[in-house]
Amino acid sequence: MTVIASSTAGAPGLPIWRQNLRVFCANKSALFASAVVVLFVAMAIIAPIIAPHDPNDTDLFRRLQPPVWKEGGDWAYILGCDALGRDILSRLIYGSRISIFIGAAVVLFATVIGILAGLAAGYLRGWVDVVISRIVDILLGFPYLIFAIGLMAMMGPGLVNIVLALVYKEWVIPCRVVRGETLAAREQEYVEAARAVGASSGHIMLREILPNILSAVTVISTVRMANVIIMEASLSFLGLGVQPPTASWGEMVAGGREFIMEAWWVSTFPGLAILALVLAINVASQGLRDAFDPRFAE
Amino acid sequence: MKKRVLLEVNALKTTFSTRAGPVTAVDGVSLTLNEGECLGVVGESGSGKSVTFASVMGLVRANGRIEEGEIRFMGRDLRAMSAEELRLVRGREIAMTMQDALTALNPSLRIDEQLAEMMEAHLDDLPVFGPARKRAIRDRSVEMLRLVGIPSPEARLQQYPHEFSGGMRQRIMIAIALACRPKLLIADEPTTALDVTIQAQVLDLISDLRRELGMSVVFITHDLGIVAEHCDRVMVMYAGQVVEEGETSEIIEQCRHPYTRALLASIPRPELRGQSLNPIPGNVPDLRDVTNECRFRSRCAYAVPACSRPVMMREIAPGRKTRCIRDGELA
Amino acid sequence: MNPAKFFQRLLQLAPVLLGVSFIAFMMLAMTPGDPVALIIGEHAATPEQIETLRRDLGLNQPLLQRFASFLADAVTGNFGTSFYHRRPVAEVIGERLPATIELSLVALIVALVTSIPLGVLAAIRKNTIFDRIATLFSLVGVSMPGFWLGILLIMIFAVNLQLFPVAGRIGFSHEVDPITGFMLIDTLLHRNFAAFGETLRYIALPAVTLGLPMAAILMRVTRTSMLEVLQQDYVTFANAKGLKPRRIFFRHALKNALIPTVSVAAIETGSLLGGNMIVETIFGWPGLGRLVVESIFVRNYPLVQAAVLLYAVTYVLLNFIADILYTLLNPRVKL
Repeated sequence: MTVIASSTAGAPGLPIWRQNLRVFCANKSALFASAVVVLFVAMAIIAPIIAPHDPNDTDLFRRLQPPVWKEGGDWAYILGCDALGRDILSRLIYGSRISIFIGAAVVLFATVIGILAGLAAGYLRGWVDVVISRIVDILLGFPYLIFAIGLMAMMGPGLVNIVLALVYKEWVIPCRVVRGETLAAREQEYVEAARAVGASSGHIMLREILPNILSAVTVISTVRMANVIIMEASLSFLGLGVQPPTASWGEMVAGGREFIMEAWWVSTFPGLAILALVLAINVASQGLRDAFDPRFAE
Repeated sequence: MKKRVLLEVNALKTTFSTRAGPVTAVDGVSLTLNEGECLGVVGESGSGKSVTFASVMGLVRANGRIEEGEIRFMGRDLRAMSAEELRLVRGREIAMTMQDALTALNPSLRIDEQLAEMMEAHLDDLPVFGPARKRAIRDRSVEMLRLVGIPSPEARLQQYPHEFSGGMRQRIMIAIALACRPKLLIADEPTTALDVTIQAQVLDLISDLRRELGMSVVFITHDLGIVAEHCDRVMVMYAGQVVEEGETSEIIEQCRHPYTRALLASIPRPELRGQSLNPIPGNVPDLRDVTNECRFRSRCAYAVPACSRPVMMREIAPGRKTRCIRDGELA
Repeated sequence: MNPAKFFQRLLQLAPVLLGVSFIAFMMLAMTPGDPVALIIGEHAATPEQIETLRRDLGLNQPLLQRFASFLADAVTGNFGTSFYHRRPVAEVIGERLPATIELSLVALIVALVTSIPLGVLAAIRKNTIFDRIATLFSLVGVSMPGFWLGILLIMIFAVNLQLFPVAGRIGFSHEVDPITGFMLIDTLLHRNFAAFGETLRYIALPAVTLGLPMAAILMRVTRTSMLEVLQQDYVTFANAKGLKPRRIFFRHALKNALIPTVSVAAIETGSLLGGNMIVETIFGWPGLGRLVVESIFVRNYPLVQAAVLLYAVTYVLLNFIADILYTLLNPRVKL
């Protein structure tokens, strides 16, 4: 008598993550979007090598010089120059460092904090859960941008402060997801089995539950990174972000605001860069979600 | 005297396109149903029994398609009908109840509306104008609820589905399905969602109404017990095909297909209390990679090398068919 | 929904509102630098004067006591004095509030009228070109930084095509005495239709900028929930009943599909408030959002604090409303 195992997706016999990877790779737009994200990251890393000019090199003779394809542009400054005569392309390249660094740092810290808090709340229950859930509720009571603006206004601008201001609120999101998943996992057999053999709470949370919910959290984190990048850009746009002359995309858009009549390129290119990066992250993470967390697949 | 044929399906083939390629859920199903008759269609989930009748009603999901075959209802070709013509058959002449009334009834509409809209859509003998029409619909609604045994129907019409018990909801769904006095009722897994005590009540209700209203009934079920008690004839389906067909008594007493035998063996029987049940080993084959061989072969206790050749449906007696080459030895 | 449960829910808001107020209070309390120095500014002051001011402001009291009096003041609408305007904070905020509410409401309408039909159509025409374009639109809408969208719209529609004004709430040529403070209503009450049209032209670009990201989200929610509803047994059953497609669509599918849309819309209206700051800054809209941004740079902290608290309380209440709406629309869910 033979028992036929019915396989659900693609090639049977492969480990699940390989099957998921196949689904992901079959998704052309997600693959392309991932490539764009990788390209942006690479650009940020090797910015000093590829930037044609010093991003802070001012020269009023080049003030508002148009991009190369317009009259008055030249190949040395392909995307033109801003009001201080700084090369827009070089500032774009350097600006990617701020966006990506802040996006990655905030999401990383927030996810670690969120995982720990969520595991504790969901597994230990009791007063730990009450305290953490209350804090989460309270933080969820603020619109994101207001909270960040309020904090930045009080703490003052600066790279570290932006990361702090955003992490203070951001960790709530992975925390809620992890708490929910942990509550569900708590009732599962493998957790009960671990408890029955006397494993410590710490062991069960980190070794048994965490690996099982990690894919859900990862998927959430990638989407959130897109959000954090927009937040950072918004703060910089309002002048509450990284301080000049450091190049950041939001600040560059703001810098071009006064000149939209005569020099549209100053605001347009950095905005386009934000849109491209955020869009790429969103598309890629949607592909990730469809492949690795099919519960949410459409 | 031979009764008139109500529904006739010939070599029906319904295919779904899925992520992993096309799946033929119904593969060459033929059946005949007479007026007033009760047919039981039995099989595990995935056997194609529900899809067969979804095809009959023109309710195959968007990713599915009837590839070939003929569906005739009272001599009319349903496949040739326009969407609007088919709509007028649905509900009016062929009605359906679903497995779980909780999900089949719209949670945000009151019962009176869900009954009334059925009559609005089909009945042309209602008064045309406002109050009289409303009253007529209301009277009929009350009558239908009374017919299916809902106490104080006037008051209960005003309620939402979630305010009823499981058995009552099932009755309401039946009332809606029968509101236009259809000639055929397709009851898809009518008891699966119910408690054992309620199951018998609902089945008896359907059988009583069948006699009272003179309609035909198709029970789609995985429970041979229902079939034994309520159906005139039985059709057993496996992996998209019919494997055995015949009078209920014949099937129960002398089945001629190993799958039917296995199904019978897996029924819990009071007289065999204490003995272990005999579940069928293995799973229904993946419909994407069925080959020409007998589809039950991999799970069959009677399999021989000859089973690797295609097996056809054979008529072994009038109205009695099987799809097994060793049927003689099984009897 | 029975009133007892309603009040129970309402009561659950209390700890959240208390926590939110505490954070808003701490934001100012933790600010580096001496608030007294901020008030006195450049003026020379004797140590005695500073000490008096310090006592007047209650700064020498313990933190919790200061929070208690902050709360007591906030409940009575007393948020202190705006140093910059030399007037009570509540008064300054009150003046700016109608403009912000008006802009938010129009943005909400823009978002609803675009997202619902698009989302529903995308669901019905799943996997067609239309669906793909609508999905792309929502992806771009979610990924678009609002401040850049605003500038882009100004460049295209105000500077190049000159269809709309660049900034402001109404032109100088129109004089409208405020009645309600909502320009669109006031102009109509005065039967000044020219001014009404003018107001519409002024509000169009900021409202679209503010509404677009919300439209993108709502479109997605509507599409997903419509797809889900179309898969439901009750839609299949409605089909099996032989109902007319139009009735199945509107009465059975759409009614249920819009339940999540409505409650997400209520929540997103709260996020809309956050976007106000940026949009009002770009379009020179004389509302609360711009006031907050300006106040930050003149270090008018009491006003920032009051605004943060106001935004947060509104947000919490909107979430509460979303919750209640969801329950009311959904007879299955009992509170």
